[in-house]
Amino acid sequence: MSPYSLMILLLCLSSAAYYLGKKKAFAVSADVGGARQLHSRPTYYGALAARWCGIPALILFAGWLGLEDHIITGMVVSELPETLQNLPADRINLLVNDIQNMVTGNIVSREVDDVMRAAADHYRHLQNISSAALAVLVLAVGIGGMLWVRSRIVPSLRARNHVERIIRYLLIFCSTIAIFTTIGIVLSVLYEAIRFFHAVPVTEFLFGLKWSPQMAIRADQVGSSGAFGAIPVFAGTAMISAIAMLVAVPIGLMSAIYMSEYADRRFRDAAKPLMEILAGIPTVVYGFFAALIVAPFIRDAGTTIGLDVSSESALAAGLVMGIMIIPFVSSLSDDIINAVPQALRDGAYGLGATQSETIKQVVLPAALPGIVGGVLLAISRAIGETMIVVMAAGLAANLTANPLATMTTVTVQIVTLLVGDQEFDSPKTLAAFALGLVLFIVTLLLNVIALHVVRKYREQYE
Amino acid sequence: MFKKTILLAAALGLIFALGAGNAQAARDYISIVGSSTVYPFATVVAEQFGKTTSYKTPKIESTGSGGGLKLFCAGVGVEHPDITNASRAIKSSEKEMCVKNGVKEIVEVKIGYDGIVMANSKKSAPLKLTRRDIFLALAKEVPDPKGGEKLVANPYKTWKDVNPSLPNVKIEVLGPPPTSGTRDAFAELAMEAGAKTFDWIKAMKKTDKKAYKAVCHTVREDGAYIEAGENDNLIVQKLEANPDAFGIFGFSFLDQNTDKIQGSYIEGVQPTFDGIAAGDYPVSRPLFFYVKKAHVDVIPGMKEYLKEFTSEKAWGPDGYLSEKGMIPMPDAERKQYHNAVENLTPLMMK
Amino acid sequence: MGLAAILASLAFLSLLFISIIGKGYTAFWQTYVRLDVHLSADQLDRTELETADYPGIVKKTLRSMFPEVKSRGDKRKLYALISSGAAFQIREMVLEDPDLVGKTVSVWVPADDDVDMLVKGHIERDVPEEARRLTDKQLAWVDALTGEGRVEKRFNRTLFTHGDSREPELAGIWGATVGSFLTLAITLLLSFPIGVASAVYLEEFAPKNRWTDLIEVNINNLAAVPSIVFGLLGLAVFLNFFGLPRSAPVVGGLVLTLMTLPTIIIASRAALLAVPPSIREAALGVGASKMQTVFHHVLPLALPGMLTGTIIGMARALGETAPLLMIGMVAFIVDIPGGFTDPSTALPVQIYLWADSPEKAFVERTSAATLVLLAFLIVMNALAVVLRRRFERRW
Repeated sequence: MSPYSLMILLLCLSSAAYYLGKKKAFAVSADVGGARQLHSRPTYYGALAARWCGIPALILFAGWLGLEDHIITGMVVSELPETLQNLPADRINLLVNDIQNMVTGNIVSREVDDVMRAAADHYRHLQNISSAALAVLVLAVGIGGMLWVRSRIVPSLRARNHVERIIRYLLIFCSTIAIFTTIGIVLSVLYEAIRFFHAVPVTEFLFGLKWSPQMAIRADQVGSSGAFGAIPVFAGTAMISAIAMLVAVPIGLMSAIYMSEYADRRFRDAAKPLMEILAGIPTVVYGFFAALIVAPFIRDAGTTIGLDVSSESALAAGLVMGIMIIPFVSSLSDDIINAVPQALRDGAYGLGATQSETIKQVVLPAALPGIVGGVLLAISRAIGETMIVVMAAGLAANLTANPLATMTTVTVQIVTLLVGDQEFDSPKTLAAFALGLVLFIVTLLLNVIALHVVRKYREQYE
Repeated sequence: MFKKTILLAAALGLIFALGAGNAQAARDYISIVGSSTVYPFATVVAEQFGKTTSYKTPKIESTGSGGGLKLFCAGVGVEHPDITNASRAIKSSEKEMCVKNGVKEIVEVKIGYDGIVMANSKKSAPLKLTRRDIFLALAKEVPDPKGGEKLVANPYKTWKDVNPSLPNVKIEVLGPPPTSGTRDAFAELAMEAGAKTFDWIKAMKKTDKKAYKAVCHTVREDGAYIEAGENDNLIVQKLEANPDAFGIFGFSFLDQNTDKIQGSYIEGVQPTFDGIAAGDYPVSRPLFFYVKKAHVDVIPGMKEYLKEFTSEKAWGPDGYLSEKGMIPMPDAERKQYHNAVENLTPLMMK
Repeated sequence: MGLAAILASLAFLSLLFISIIGKGYTAFWQTYVRLDVHLSADQLDRTELETADYPGIVKKTLRSMFPEVKSRGDKRKLYALISSGAAFQIREMVLEDPDLVGKTVSVWVPADDDVDMLVKGHIERDVPEEARRLTDKQLAWVDALTGEGRVEKRFNRTLFTHGDSREPELAGIWGATVGSFLTLAITLLLSFPIGVASAVYLEEFAPKNRWTDLIEVNINNLAAVPSIVFGLLGLAVFLNFFGLPRSAPVVGGLVLTLMTLPTIIIASRAALLAVPPSIREAALGVGASKMQTVFHHVLPLALPGMLTGTIIGMARALGETAPLLMIGMVAFIVDIPGGFTDPSTALPVQIYLWADSPEKAFVERTSAATLVLLAFLIVMNALAVVLRRRFERRW
C-alpha cells in the first residue's frame, strides 16, 4: 500500500474513531441519566478517541518511513557479493542508486548483470514486505488506540481536559518552531562567520569605514587585499529602508484611515485587495521597474534641476521598495483600526468631537500597538528585501548621507558574494555569512528595543 | 470546527513531508551546477540531449563557479552533482577540497571561448580603444600623467583626458562586480595587457610581482566604474537609456542586441564572431566544465551527454553552441579535449 | 488625503500593469510557418521511426521550397528560419500515426525566435544589415513565405503547456507553474496551521514571562532576516542534515514556510489582540473553558485578520526567488515535475532566469510569465476577499 493511501485510510480511521467515541459516550451516559451526566460534552470523547487513534499511528508511520530506506538498503547491500561490498561507502551509495533506478523501472547506466538483477529483485521484495508490514502495524496501532480510549470512556472521564492538554502541547510545539528556526539560522551562518573573523578581525569588520571586497579570485593572481568594513553597507541598508518607510508609512497609514473610517464598504472591498497585490508582485519585477523606469527618470529629473544623480541612486530603490511595502502598513493597520470598538467612536461623537478629532484622539491611539506592529513588519521587510536592491541599488559601498548617490545594502552584498565565481573559502564568500550574522544581531537589538517601547505604550481598549 | 481544519491541514502537511522523505531514493537524471556564464550554453546541450535520447533532460543549476565547485567537491554519491560548469579553471584549494572529500578523479573539459566586450548605445559613436586606454581609464592608480615612474590616483574624468583622439565624454562604465569571473578575466586580459605597455610597470612584474598585479587588476572606485551586478540584459537596457555609458559583458548579449548596442574596437578589432574565433580580438576567456569520473558509469546518460557536448554539431564551428554566441576552440584543441573526454583522462591532482 | 494616498498607490499599480502588459501581450502569440513536408519512405524506415533523421526532413522540405538556395552558408541561413522544435513536432506526429509515412502532410511549425520577432515588429527592417539578427536574404525568404500565406500568428499554446527551453519559441511556463503550485501547497499547509497555532498560544495561553518575551522578539526578528539567509538555513538543515533532495518543491516549501511564518504569526497576533476582551469575558462567564473560549469565540472573530496576514505571506512566498537559489531551485528544468520530490523550479525563478537570457524573444516571455504570476496573485487575493467578507465583524 502506498504511503499516501495509507495516510488517507488513517485519516478515515480517526474520523471513525471520533464517531465511535461520541457514540460510546452517549451510550455510557444513557445508563446514568443522559448526556448531562458526562464530565465533558460528548464531542470531546470523540475527539479524544480520534487523537489517540491518529497521533501514535502517525508517529510510528513517520519513524518507519524515516528508517525504512536505510534498513532495506543495508539488507540489500549485505546480500551483494563480497567484491562489491568492499567498495568505499560512496561507491556503494552510487551502486544502490543504480539498483533503485532498476527497481523503479528507470534507465540504468550500465549493462544489467545477474548480480544487479538479483539485488533489484531482493530490493523490490523487501520493499513489498516493508510496506505491507507498515500498513498492518499502523492500522493496528490506530485501531488499538481507538479501542483503548473507547474502553475507558465512562461518564467521569475528564475528556475535555485531556483533549485540551493535547492541543496545548501542540500549540506550544508550534510556537517553539520560531526558536528552532533562529537556532538553525545562527548555527548555519556561525561556523563560516567565525572562519571569516579569523581572516578579518572583528573590529575591522564592525567599525571599518571602507567596504571593497576586491580580492584576487585565482591563486596566480594577487589583486589588492580588499577592505571589509561593514559600516557603509549597513548605512546603505538603513538609508534605503528609511526612504522606503518615508514612502510607505504616510501613504499606508492614510490609506488605512480612509478605508476604515471614511470610505464606503464597496470602495474598501475593492481597494484593499488591489493594494495587497502590490505586496505580492515578484520583487524581480519591481527590480526591473526600479532600474529601468524609476532610476533613469530620477536621473533625468535631477539633471534638469542641476543635481548630479547617480544612475543607480538609493532614492530609486528606496521609492520602489516603499511602494512594495505599502500594503504591509495599510492592510494591517486597516484591520486593526477596523477592530477598534464602535463604542469608542460613539463615545467621542457623543462628547461632540468631529470625525477627524475622533480619529486623531481616540481611534488612532487605540489602534497604535497594532499599527506599530504593522510598521515593524514593514521595516523588517525593507531590511530583508533583496532583489529590488540587487537590480536597482548597485554594488558600490559609499558612506554618504546623499540619497542621490549609489549605495549598497547588506542583502545585495550577501547575494553577490554567495553566487560569485570566486572560490568558496576565500574571505569574500565568508564575508556573506558574517554580514548575515551581524544583520541578524542588529535587527535583534532593534526588535528588543521596539518591544520595550511598544509595551510601554500598549493599552487594551474596551 | 476550526481546530479540526487546522489538525487536518497539519496532518496533510505531514503526509507530504513524509512522502517526500520516502521518495527521494533514486536519481535518474544528470545533475549539473555551476557558472552562470556557461549556463546558457550547457542548457542548450542538455535540451538537445534530452530531446534526442531516451534519457531525462539533465538538471542545470546556475550557482556561480565558486558555489558550483563547492557542491561538486562535497563528495561522491547521488546527492552530489555530477558535473560543474566553470568560467575559470579549478583552483588548487578546490582540488584539495575535492580530494579530501573523496572526489579523486575529475575530468576537465574546455568547451570554448566567451568574448568579453565593451559596448555602448548605437546613439553614440563607437570607441576605438587600445588596451592601454582601458587600463588608464579604469585602473585605480595610473602612472602620473606628468611623467615619471610614479603612480597617482586615477585623475581621468573623460575619455578625452585618457587619449586625445577619444571623444569628450565622461567615463562611465558598467561592469561586473569583483566576485565575477568576467571581471577577473577582463582585468587580466584587457587591463593587465594595457598596463604592460608601460615598460616600468612591466619591469615591476619581475621585481615585485604582488605590487604589479595590484596595479594591473585594481579597478577604480570613484564612480567611473559602476559595479552593475550579473544581469547582463539589465546592463544592455541601462546602456540604451544612457548613451554615454559603456558596459562590459559577454559576447552573446552583444550578438543578440546588435540593433541597440555596438562593441568598441579594441586594438582595432571589433568584437564579431569571426574576429574572436580567429583570435584577433584580444579579450576572450575559456569556459570549462568538470566531470566526476566516479559518476560516469553510474548515473544514467552521463556518457551520452558528454558525447553530445563534445560532438562537432554542438561545439564545432557550425554547431548549435556557436549559434548561441559561444566561440569555438581551434580544431586541434577541440580534438584534444574530445579525446580527453573519450578516455576520461583525469586532471592531475596534487 | 487618504483617498489621494490610495489613488497614488493604485496609480502606481496600474502603471506597473500597463508596462508589463504592454511588453508581454505579444508573447501570447507565436509565429508559425506552414510546411508541406513529404515524409518519404526512403528517409523513414518503418522499423526505426524513433531515431530517423527528422531535422534532415525539415531541411529537405525547406530546400525544395527555395530551390535557388545553393551555397552552404545560405542553406544554413535558410534552415535558421524554422525552429529546431519543428523536427520534434514531426517526429511526434509520425510516431503517433506511422501511416503518414510516404504521404505529404501540411503542418504548421513554429518559426525561429528571430523570425517571430520580425513578424511582431521587434526587429526593424530599415537598419543596416549587420545591425540585424536576420540578413536581407532571410528577410526576402520570410516575405516570400508570407506572400504565399504560409506565415501566421497563432495563440502560443506552447507557453502554457511546456517546460523551460533555451529556444524561446519552445519555452513554456507550465513546469514552473506546477513547481510553484507544489511549493506553495506545502507552504500553505504548514505555515497557516503552525502560524495560527503559535499566535494563539503566544497571545492567549502563554504566561507573560521572559521566555515568551524571547519568543516574541525572536519572531519579530525572523521577519527581518533576508530571505537568502533562509536559503542558507534550508541548505544547512534540510539538504545537508536531513538529506532531502536538492531542487525539490518539498524543500522549497519548507524554507518558504519558515520564511512566511513570522509574517503570519505577527498578523495573527495583531488580529487576536483586536478582539475585545468583553468577548472572552462573556464566554468565560457562561462557563466555557479557556480553550473553548479561544477556539469557539475569539478565533472566528480574529480569522479575517489572520487570513490577511496569510495571504500577504503567501503572496510573498509566491514571488520569492532568493532563498530558492541556495537550495537548487534556480535551475534549468525541462521536464514537468510530477511530485514533491522531483526537481522543479518556480515561476519567479523562471522569470529571473528568462530575464537573464540573451535572446530578445525572452523579453516578452518574461513579461508574459510575470502576467501569469500576477494572475495567480489576483486569484489568491480574490479568495481572501471572499473569505474576509464572510467572517469580518465590526463592533
